[in-house]
Amino acid sequence: MNGLTVETRQLDDVTLIYPQGFINAHTVRVFEAEIQKAIEQNRFKVVVNCSGLSYIASAGLGAIMGVIDEIRRQGGDLRLAGLNDTVRNIFEILGFHHLYRIFPTELDALRSFGEPGKAGA
Amino acid sequence: MLTVPSQTTFLAAVREVTKKMAEGAGFKSPTPDQLALAVDEATTNAIEHAYGGASDKQVVLQFEDRGTDFRVEVIDTGAMMDPRSVPRVDLPRYVSERRKGGLGVHLMENIMDQVTFRRTARRNVCLLVKRKDGAK
Repeated sequence: MNGLTVETRQLDDVTLIYPQGFINAHTVRVFEAEIQKAIEQNRFKVVVNCSGLSYIASAGLGAIMGVIDEIRRQGGDLRLAGLNDTVRNIFEILGFHHLYRIFPTELDALRSFGEPGKAGA
Repeated sequence: MLTVPSQTTFLAAVREVTKKMAEGAGFKSPTPDQLALAVDEATTNAIEHAYGGASDKQVVLQFEDRGTDFRVEVIDTGAMMDPRSVPRVDLPRYVSERRKGGLGVHLMENIMDQVTFRRTARRNVCLLVKRKDGAK
């Protein structure tokens, strides 16, 4: 079982990341590598479209936690969109919904980077 | 009882079996998914920490439906672990320190009604208990 594929797309200065499958201790490196790639390319506005994500374990949450400070210090942000109920529930259990901006759709997340004064909020 | 090799590739199977067992015990959505996650985390701890990533060991899972509660024991024969020594997760501090680990125990404790660790006969036993009366 492969478990996870991750595609990335660039839209202007925003990097869109599409995890497809699940993120746990086995698959997390694939996800982590895509986020790191964006950072290495100095692309600090990131949207993770979770609509293809069936679930996420602490390894995946840790991968996000490990980069968020650097991304925000560089004036960007990592925002999430399209969470299913299972994934949203995990975020809420840990209180992550207070730390990250979560949007119903990818379009909402993209638009949020265009909000005046909120690009890095 | 389910015995899996100490390889993270089997976590998906652990998750599926746990979810089915929880559904069979009568839990309704989203609890089976949450229980599957808690057991995934306990198994990950055994593989990555107790066994230090060694892939030639085994992790044993014992499921028990006691009527009033649902219990899962995750058992390994690796190095002694005391996850209670993991500092409590303080999210804002966690972000500023760029930490990545320690969330698993935090998740387990938030999902389950009881999480205990004991060392017995050179085995680590992580007991996860979920009550059926909706206490949490």
